[in-house]
Amino acid sequence: MIEKIDAGQLEIIMEFITEARELIDEVEPDILILEDKTGDDPDQELSRETVDDLNAIFRLFHSMKGGAGFLGFNNVVESTHTAENLLDKLRTGTINLTSNHVDLLCKSCDFTKEALDYIEENYNDEGMAEASRELVRLFTEDVSPGNSATKGQKSSQPKEINEEPSVAKVDPSPEINLDMDMADLVNPEIRQKFLEESDDLLQEVESDLLKLSENQQDSESIEKLFRNFHSFKGNCGFLGFSDLEKLGHMAETLLDALKTGASKEGERIADLLLELIDVFKNSLEDIVKGNNGKIEGLELYLEVMNNLLPRNLQIEIKGSSSRIGDILVRQGAVKEEDVQDALEAQQKPLGEILVEKGKVSADKLDKALKVQEKLREPTQKSPIERRSVKRQDIRVDIDKLDNLITLIGEMVIAENMVIHNPDLQHLDVELESFNKAGQHMSKIVRELQEMAMTIRMVPISGLFRRMIRLVHDLSRKSGKKVELKLDGENTEVDKTVIEKISDPLVHLIRNSMDHGLEPNEQRKDIGKPEIGTISLTASHEEGDVLITIVDDGRGLDRKKLIAKGIEKGIVKGDGSQLSDKEAMQLIFQPGFSTAEKVTDISGRGVGMDVVRQNLESIKGRIDIHSEPGQGTTITLRIPLTLAIIDGMLIRTGHAHYILPILSIRESFQPSMEAITVTPDGQEMVKVREDLLPVVRLHGMHNIVPDYEDLSKGILIVLEGRIGSNICLFVDELMGQQQTVIKGLSEYINHTGEVSGVSGCTILGNGEVCLILDVNSIEESVAKE
Amino acid sequence: MTENSKIRLDEDDDLYDDDEDTQKDKYLTFRLAGEDYGIDIAFVTEIIGIQKITEVPDMPEFIRGVINLRGKVIPVMDVRLRFKLAPRDYDERTCIVVVDIEDNAVGLVVDEVSEVADIPESQVESPPQSGRGKSSRYLKGMGKIDEEVKILLNVDKLLYEEEMEAILEATNN
Repeated sequence: MIEKIDAGQLEIIMEFITEARELIDEVEPDILILEDKTGDDPDQELSRETVDDLNAIFRLFHSMKGGAGFLGFNNVVESTHTAENLLDKLRTGTINLTSNHVDLLCKSCDFTKEALDYIEENYNDEGMAEASRELVRLFTEDVSPGNSATKGQKSSQPKEINEEPSVAKVDPSPEINLDMDMADLVNPEIRQKFLEESDDLLQEVESDLLKLSENQQDSESIEKLFRNFHSFKGNCGFLGFSDLEKLGHMAETLLDALKTGASKEGERIADLLLELIDVFKNSLEDIVKGNNGKIEGLELYLEVMNNLLPRNLQIEIKGSSSRIGDILVRQGAVKEEDVQDALEAQQKPLGEILVEKGKVSADKLDKALKVQEKLREPTQKSPIERRSVKRQDIRVDIDKLDNLITLIGEMVIAENMVIHNPDLQHLDVELESFNKAGQHMSKIVRELQEMAMTIRMVPISGLFRRMIRLVHDLSRKSGKKVELKLDGENTEVDKTVIEKISDPLVHLIRNSMDHGLEPNEQRKDIGKPEIGTISLTASHEEGDVLITIVDDGRGLDRKKLIAKGIEKGIVKGDGSQLSDKEAMQLIFQPGFSTAEKVTDISGRGVGMDVVRQNLESIKGRIDIHSEPGQGTTITLRIPLTLAIIDGMLIRTGHAHYILPILSIRESFQPSMEAITVTPDGQEMVKVREDLLPVVRLHGMHNIVPDYEDLSKGILIVLEGRIGSNICLFVDELMGQQQTVIKGLSEYINHTGEVSGVSGCTILGNGEVCLILDVNSIEESVAKE
Repeated sequence: MTENSKIRLDEDDDLYDDDEDTQKDKYLTFRLAGEDYGIDIAFVTEIIGIQKITEVPDMPEFIRGVINLRGKVIPVMDVRLRFKLAPRDYDERTCIVVVDIEDNAVGLVVDEVSEVADIPESQVESPPQSGRGKSSRYLKGMGKIDEEVKILLNVDKLLYEEEMEAILEATNN
């Protein structure tokens, strides 16, 4: 157990937690896939796929266990170990897969998640002992022979899993009995991970070795080195790179000798290991190429290392010693006894004595000496190009990324300022070359901007995978069988966006499961496929991300919605004036729920409000389309990034504004006949069949416009989230442009609330330009 | 925004030093409606010429809007309007003094910037308590240089005292 935590240790723990979380996210969907296989004929051999799945799950649990064991999180080790045992039995066919097993595995995922949270706070997992014991008990009950459907032959008695939470009882090396299929298990992904990790390890090792060679007493470095070599060796062994494993093992032995004080040769060991780093690197390079990392002259290296060990610890290595006497004996140049004699009398170099004694000829010694030279300088004979293993990813602080993106945003503005600089317009010269250069620069800046944006992008698959678990759990709870279809998991979305849509997705899927889909029997009765379907799709569309959730359930009932709306006092009159769309939007009202009863899944009417708020905060939109009896389609439309929007520059009088393109439906110049003024002075304009209220932008902000006459300016039809459209009257549309969103400064926000404005941006001419907030304009119209 | 239209008080300037002591008792003085005012130099980050201000709706009258200061959007307050003095058209002498309080940059529009003056504490009298207008709340004291009197402003209050004013106005009505 860890007594005190130093910074390095902490880092390792944090890394472990992050990694383990990723592993769990990966493993959960796989476990749920197994669920479908539970119905298979028990006497049939497991299909190849199932075995693959089991192996995959096994691997992940195994890696988790390894990490936890290394850090001394025994409770985690234990729970993962029991899970591993179960999986092992499943894949060897000792017991049959049942849905109970799937549940158990899910539970152990949950446990591990909890344990990770605990570790994150306390840096140990002692508090999880109880839960771990409970989990192990559950597993034991299930795996014990009486309880599970053992296959015909009672091949191997399930291994006893002790309830005592002691690591000693945990088989520390379950790989041993798995050796044979390990080779199959090494998929390219694992290989890649191994290579990246090893690269990191070697870099660390290198710097620690340098420290060590300067200060032999640096016990901290020795410890760290030992640990690193140990993990490295473990990885190599796990993946079957035996040469690397041997070399790593030897390095470990050397460091162990240093650690225990058996060897005082710190400096020499450090120097030797430093030289060997290249050997490791070359071997890794070999693995990159798809080979098994064979090390040429491995024996020689091992021997050199062995020789550095104190004599009593030295390992006998057959046929390879770098001592000149041994070499001579091996070459048949001298007899062993002669060497012994010579050694006893040794004052001068052994070779010379032997020559003097006439036991060996001078050229033979020369030859032997050359061999020795070669042996003693193993690294100089590795002229293979010194390319380090290529890294595939790095972790970067998200703040740094944000700063980078802000800077690039400023650059876009600065670039605009240069290219459209007013000074240039006073020049009477043809600026051909300047314009060319300017265009070139714009192109690069654009590309840079796009590149920076993609850095923040992550595939949505992780989020989607979490939904698999959710649907599984909900389907258990509600007893409805549901099929979840995922599509477009590779769609990349800004990381903040992913965080923001996680909750809405959960709510939407819950709603579909609970309110949308009918119970299986009912579905059968009304002639729908018995198992309901929810499909979750992500795709890109014109700079937006579209996420659709489609279910084939009841659909939303307009009458019910309106009745509820009237009851809640949200809808006035009998509600017949509402369009279908407006009626659907009712469900986003806080506290609005048409569910007759509140279940533990949903029905309190909080969910959709959360959905709306979260989407608003990322400037997204939500559309609902529903056919009663056919199902519901919910579409989330989210801008790809939050920092930059596509804007339309508009002008009224001297003032410029940006409107988000997303909210513009159309623009037109109205004819006089289309305009009606109500008795209270509200102007309305007829757009096809709809009568829309007109909002004069200049009126909102007290600006003197070019045109007062509606038929002279431009009307822009805007669509906000309320669903009712409005027409904004402006003087001129000036064109579309990429808009870098900036806040209006804290001082302004502190001083008062600015209505109808969501932020600002800086135009090419350096002027600050406000970005209009369509939703709040619409709301203020609705209030009047 | 052009380099020559502003005076930057940075490392190259004798007036500016990291050492707190050298900034002590130093005030940037400016003119406003015929009177001399001063603000603590420690708050001042730079002085720029007047430039195009984008109006922001729903703001008190004295917040004229926002400007672009090298890619940063900062609000601008007209000190005349803050003190309820008669507004005056901006000209080439009008300056924006950028002050920084707790990492919030705010521009102050003044008629013209005069100089950086040294007013030791002994020469600062506390502000008149009776004060006819409400503006006296923004005052830190009256600084005397020989025969001249500079009205020293409390920048913090100048920026953040508006809630109080709103309450006062509400009760008066």
